[in-house]
This record gives sequence, structure tokens and C-alpha cells, in this order.
Amino acid sequence: MRADLRMAWLLTRGSNRREWWRVGLTAAGAALATGFALAAVALAAVHGQYQVSVGAGLLDEPGTRSGVIVILLLLLVPVLGFLGQCARIGAVHRDRRLAGLRLAGATAWQVRRIAALETGLACLLGSVLATAVAVPVLLNLWEHPAAAAWTGMVLVTVGVPVLGATASALALRRVVASPLGRTRRVRPQSGRVPGLLFLGGALLLSVVALAAVAGISNGLPFSGGLYGSVPLVVAGGILAVGAGAVWLAGGTAQLMGLWFARRARTAATLIAAERLREDPWAAARTNAAVLLVTVVGTGFVGVRQVLLADLHGMRRAGSLGMDLTYYTTGLDLTAAAILVALAIILSGLAVGTAEALATRRRGLAAQTAAGVPHTVLSRALLLETALPLLPAVVLAGTGGMAIGAWYASVTTEYTTPDVPYVALLVPVAVYAACLLAAATSLPLLRRSVRPAELRYA
Amino acid sequence: MSTRHILLGLLAGGPSHGYDLKRRHDERFPQARPLAYGQVYTTLQRLVRDGLAQIEGTDSDGGPERTTYRSTDEGARELAAWAREIAPPAPFVTNEIFAKVVVSILADGDPDAYLRAQRAAHMERMRELTAVKTAKGADLATVLSADFALNHLDADLRWMTTTAARLTTLTAEVDAT
Amino acid sequence: MSNKGEAVTSTVPLLAARDLVKAHGRTEALRGASVELRAGEILAVTGASGSGKSTLLHCLAGIVRPDAGSVTYGGERLDTLPEKRLSELRRSEFGVVFQFGQLIPELTALDNVALPLLLAGTSRRDAHAKAGEWLERFGVRGQADLRPGEMSGGQAQRTSLARALITGPKVVFADEPTGALDSLASEQVMTALVHTARESGTAVLLITHDAQVAAYADRELRLTDGTVAPLGVTA
Repeated sequence: MRADLRMAWLLTRGSNRREWWRVGLTAAGAALATGFALAAVALAAVHGQYQVSVGAGLLDEPGTRSGVIVILLLLLVPVLGFLGQCARIGAVHRDRRLAGLRLAGATAWQVRRIAALETGLACLLGSVLATAVAVPVLLNLWEHPAAAAWTGMVLVTVGVPVLGATASALALRRVVASPLGRTRRVRPQSGRVPGLLFLGGALLLSVVALAAVAGISNGLPFSGGLYGSVPLVVAGGILAVGAGAVWLAGGTAQLMGLWFARRARTAATLIAAERLREDPWAAARTNAAVLLVTVVGTGFVGVRQVLLADLHGMRRAGSLGMDLTYYTTGLDLTAAAILVALAIILSGLAVGTAEALATRRRGLAAQTAAGVPHTVLSRALLLETALPLLPAVVLAGTGGMAIGAWYASVTTEYTTPDVPYVALLVPVAVYAACLLAAATSLPLLRRSVRPAELRYA
Repeated sequence: MSTRHILLGLLAGGPSHGYDLKRRHDERFPQARPLAYGQVYTTLQRLVRDGLAQIEGTDSDGGPERTTYRSTDEGARELAAWAREIAPPAPFVTNEIFAKVVVSILADGDPDAYLRAQRAAHMERMRELTAVKTAKGADLATVLSADFALNHLDADLRWMTTTAARLTTLTAEVDAT
Repeated sequence: MSNKGEAVTSTVPLLAARDLVKAHGRTEALRGASVELRAGEILAVTGASGSGKSTLLHCLAGIVRPDAGSVTYGGERLDTLPEKRLSELRRSEFGVVFQFGQLIPELTALDNVALPLLLAGTSRRDAHAKAGEWLERFGVRGQADLRPGEMSGGQAQRTSLARALITGPKVVFADEPTGALDSLASEQVMTALVHTARESGTAVLLITHDAQVAAYADRELRLTDGTVAPLGVTA
């Protein structure tokens, strides 16, 4: 084990710029995950009524507190997606390096341990940093935190690196099997596995979150019979539509690839379509999180519009229990959480696009040398993101709209039912944001097609 | 190269006369040094003397009289034994180019200039042979014989390149002794 | 000179470079190399690895700009042209073949060969028809629907040649086109290249470290340490 640790350290220290990118981004992702988990754990350790100086009173009561915990836990989903993308940075290079270790005589288990330790170290760095920030903040807000809070925080700080190491060992099971590495040109059929893992993870987290709600919520502010069932129904709907969208993304990417490849009139469309046909699940992987956030975002905007109208109606009728800002702060916090999730997902998308470019840079340099214009290559790159995302975002948007419309149809006491059309802007905005995120790698395209790349065999 | 055995080989296909043998030889081994008719005639006489071939008869299709030869059983055995026998791989290292390099060091000449000129001549010959083998309609025998020569010239070239790079050390070694 | 392209070889060079200097970081790949390529001529550039062969090709093809010296193509200075025009020139007047990597792995052989025509605005159907003819010329028509990963090295290189020649370029730049091939596949690729170039009067700049490949050219230029080495007594 000492030798493995030393090896992992040597490999990390001697690695190139791209490896450092991975280490840095993995640490950042781990820090985010730790941060969200720590906040959730600390909140879960609080029992009963308190006066908390932040959160506009939402953290004061157990009921609303549980809602915040759910949101924090759900935020872990995009963070996991982001971490998955980080693992792809330099994947080809790492595969070769690990295969080299195997050729040099390392056993499969040694290689697995070394690779897991590498990731584990990066995650440890992130989780320690996050904890170092979280502890003073907690002490500042809570004079004598409960023992449960401390225990939970220690578990999270240690658990994140352990989970990271385990996940990387799992991801590498194929690579370490052969000293010659994975044959890269074999048609990739591994796309389903990460997709399933992601779905499984998302499901598990949602179940945990729902259990947390069920366990703690006995004083929801909206606890009429109707309001009480809303989170459950919404969460279920989100999951169903999200999962559908993942499979749709992969399936349609392949179909669209085939269709466009046959009918493409321009070089850019042809290149993009053939790449989709070749590896449709790469797109599905990246898009899964985008779709979830589209469903949630569209649904949320719809629900928010109806709820606000409802609240205003209630205030006019004088039946509002608390100050209006109490409710709007809750809505704003949720909106902020969704935006944070979107930001994480977009950076994951940008990282994925950049990595796909970096892997192909020698071929791209050869295309440029042969006179293929930059504009064609850039357009192909954007189309690769845009084409498979379109049907999926449309479906996710429809799903979100359905949630909003359903909510509007059942909220009739103080308002007239009205379909919240503003929510339609959400899928459009998400789609545009994704294209922008993909476009961030265009400068990298210009740099990676330098003829100097032609020199490396 | 054993002319005896090549003629025996050509006779293995059936009786033939001297001129025909020469023509078939030049056709079968393109780019090789052509056989002189006199050499064919003396070699055939020696084959008959050693009992490896015999005279089949003479005919004169209106022209000059021609003797037809055929291979004997002993000739066929001799041929089979020769074809099985391996050619000794480079038994003596005799190399004119290497000799010239050493001599020009000994005589204070310019071995580097010599190697460059020799290299240019080799390349010129290689271009000729390549042109022969890539000409439209070149048959496989031509391609293969050109390839044989090309590979040998290429080996010479590679040897010259490494030697040129090591001339300083070689000069010191030759001058010291 | 004993070349066979004399009918199309003119005295004015099609492509000329004078005193090229180019450094990669601190290593100088070219230190004052000059070269002339006449129309329809096949020129081999040979030399040890690291002698600056590839850099010379990159400068001549307008892929990189030299630090000093000039590159002239048909009376036009390439080293000062804007990148957009250079890229256009490489697409229409030049063809490139590398050791590997110039074929897009996701595209079929047919689409790969048709690509330069698609870029020039030809319709897909016309581009396919012409690409099919070119695949036929290089004896890889049967591989039209295969992707580069499914072809042998020799077939992939012959497809690359078809792609480089389909636009009817004036110059083909070939950097170790047979570097990854065995001798038989290498012979097929070189024979295909030389025959097509001679038929269409295309000039070829051929980079190689292999004398047998260099022997396909009309003339040889030897690079040593970034300069043109004396060739000895030329015939």
C-alpha cells in the first residue's frame, strides 16, 4: 500500500498540464459535493424551532428546513455529473499510462489501487478545503453544534474521497483488464453503463431526499392535504421525465446521426452526424443532467408563477398565514439552487467538449493542414452538441410544462387556472446556454489545430 | 552464379537448342547480365561430357544446322540437389565501397566526398530501376528482379549513411595503426 | 537530369523557398534552406530524423510561417498571405498526405474523399460520383463504405491519396506517406501516387527517410541539420 501511494503521488506530480486540470477540477467538484453534503448534514442535525440569522426564517422550522435539505441533496446530482466529466479529462492518456504500468508488471489490483488513490487524493484535497471553510461558518452560526452534526461532518469529509476512489476504481475495470489497454477504435458500447450509474445515483439520492422529507416533515407550511403531496408528485414526475429524456437523447442521437449522415449537404453537418452515429451515448451522458435541470427548471418556473398568483390571491383574501417574503424567499432559494445546478452542468458540458477536442487534436490539425476551414470544424463541433440536445430539450420542456400546467389546473381556489407560458422560455434559455458552453471550447479548437500537433505520431 | 545449373533448369522443361536457351534465359532473368552465346555453347558441351545432358538430335529448318539437347536423369538429380542446397550467406566480407573508404583515408583523400558521390550514383541507379519496375505493363519477373537489386542498393546506402556519420572515428582508428 | 516529366517541367519554379529559417522553441529546425519545385516534378526530400524535413514541408505548404526567408508559389508570396487565403489555397491548389491522421475516422472512405468537393460547394451526389471514380483509380472502390479504422494501412493511404488528388491540385505534399506501411503496401501506394501525378502533371514534394521511396522521385534533396546538403557528383 505504501508503494502504491508513492506511485500515485509520483504519477500525479510528474503529470502534464491536462492531468493537473483534472486534479484541479476533480478537487473543485469534490469541494462542492462536500459543501452541499456538509450543509445538509448540519441542517439535519438541528431539531425543533430556532432563530437562524440566515435564510429569511426558512431554516427556523423543521418543515421548511427539510425542504432546504432536499434541495441541497438534489444539488449533489449535477455535482456528480460534473465529477464524471472531470474523470474523462485525459482519459485516453491515462488509459495508456495504466496499460504501461500493467506491461511493466503491475497486477490489475495494484493498477486499480494506484488509480483510485490518485482520484482519492484529489477528492481529499477538495473535501478538506470545503470542511476548512464550513467549520468556522458553522461555529459562527451555531454556538454549540450537536454531536450528531460533528459526526455527520466527519463522515462526509472522509466519505467523499472514499466514494471518489471507489468510483474511479469501478470506471477503470475495463482498462486494467489488459496490459495493452482498451482498444480505442472498437465501437464504444460502454455508454449505457455510466448512464445507468448516473440514473441509479439520481434515483438513490431522490429516495434519500424523499425519505428525509417524510421523516422530518410534520409541519410543512403548505401542509394542506394537497400541498403535502405536491413535493412527492413533482419529484416523481421529474424523475420519470428526466429518465425518459436520457434514453431519448441516446436513441435519437443515433437515429439523427444516421439520418443526417445520409442527407447532409454540407461538410460540417456530415462530420457532426457521423460522429453522433459513431458514439451516440457520449452525447447522452453529457445531456442527461441538462435534461433533468430543464425539467426541473421549466416545472419550477411554471409552479412559481401559479403559486405567486395564488399567494397574491390569498393575501387579498386575507388568508395568508405569514409574511409574503417568507414564501418568496423559499421560491428564490429554490431558483438559486436550480441556477447553481445549471451552472455546474454547463461547466461539465464545457469540460466534456474541451476534452473531446483535446483527444482529437492531431486529427483536427491534419484537417486544418489539408485546408478544411476553421468555420467548418467549429460548426461541426457546435452541431454535435446542438443536434442530439434538441429533441431531448423539447421533451424535457414539455414535461416541465406539463408539471406547471397540472399544478395550475389544481390550484383554483384563489386564481383562475391559466397555463404558465413563461416557463416555455426555460428550455429555450437552457438550449442557448448549452450552445454557449460548447462554444467556450472554440478558442481551444483554434489552439489545438496548430501544425505543431502534426509532429506527434 | 552457376550457368550450368541454370541451363539444366531451362532444359528441365523439355529439349531445346542453344539459341533458344539463351533467349529464354534473358527473358526469365531480366536485368541480369545477358548470357553470351559462346558461353551457352561451351557450358552445354561440358554438361554432355559430365553426363548431365545429351544430344537429342540436329535439325536445320532450312537455315544453319542446330543441335538440340536434353537433360539426363543424372542431370535432373544434380539439378534437384543444387536447388535444395542453400547459398552460403556472405562467406567473405568483400566490399569495394568499404575498401575505397579505407584506402582514401590511408592516402589522405576525401572519403566523405567519395561517399557522397557514391551515394548519388546509387540513388541514380535506384531511380532507373524504380522507373523500370513502375513502367506500365512491367511483368512480375521484371518487378521482382528490380526489387532484388533495389533492396541491395538500399542496404549499401544505409551502410554508407552510417559510415559517413562515423568517418571521424574511423579516420582516427585507421591513422593510429 | 534523367526525369520523365520533362514535357511538363518548365524552367520557372512553381514553388520556391529561399533561405528558410524556422525554430521550434529553442531548437532550429531550418537554418537557411532553399528549394525549388518545378511544375509536374516529383521531388524527394530526404534526411535523418530531426533534419527539418517535415518543417520544410509545413513551410512550403503554407501550414506554418517561416521565421525568416520567403516562400513563393506561382509568383505569390505565401509567407505573408492571410490564414484564410492560405487555407483556401491548401484546399484548392495543394493536396496533403501524411503518415496517418488526415482521414476523419468517423467518415466512410467515400465521404472522406468527397470532403474537399463538399467544402468547395459541390452537391453531395456529384461529390460522391467523383469520389467513387477516384477510389476506383486507386483500387479501393470496394472499400468505399468502410471507415478508416476498418481498412488496412495501405488502403487507408490510397484513400488519402484519392482525397489529396480529387480537386486536381498543382502540388501534392506527402510527408512519409508510406511510413507506417510494409514494403508491398508501400510499393502500391507509391506506384499509385507516381502514376497519377505524372498523368495529371501534378508536382509532388515527397518527404521520406527511405531511399527506396525516394527513388520514385525525379530528383532528391538532402537535408542535414536544417540546410540543404551537397549531393555529391550529380549525374
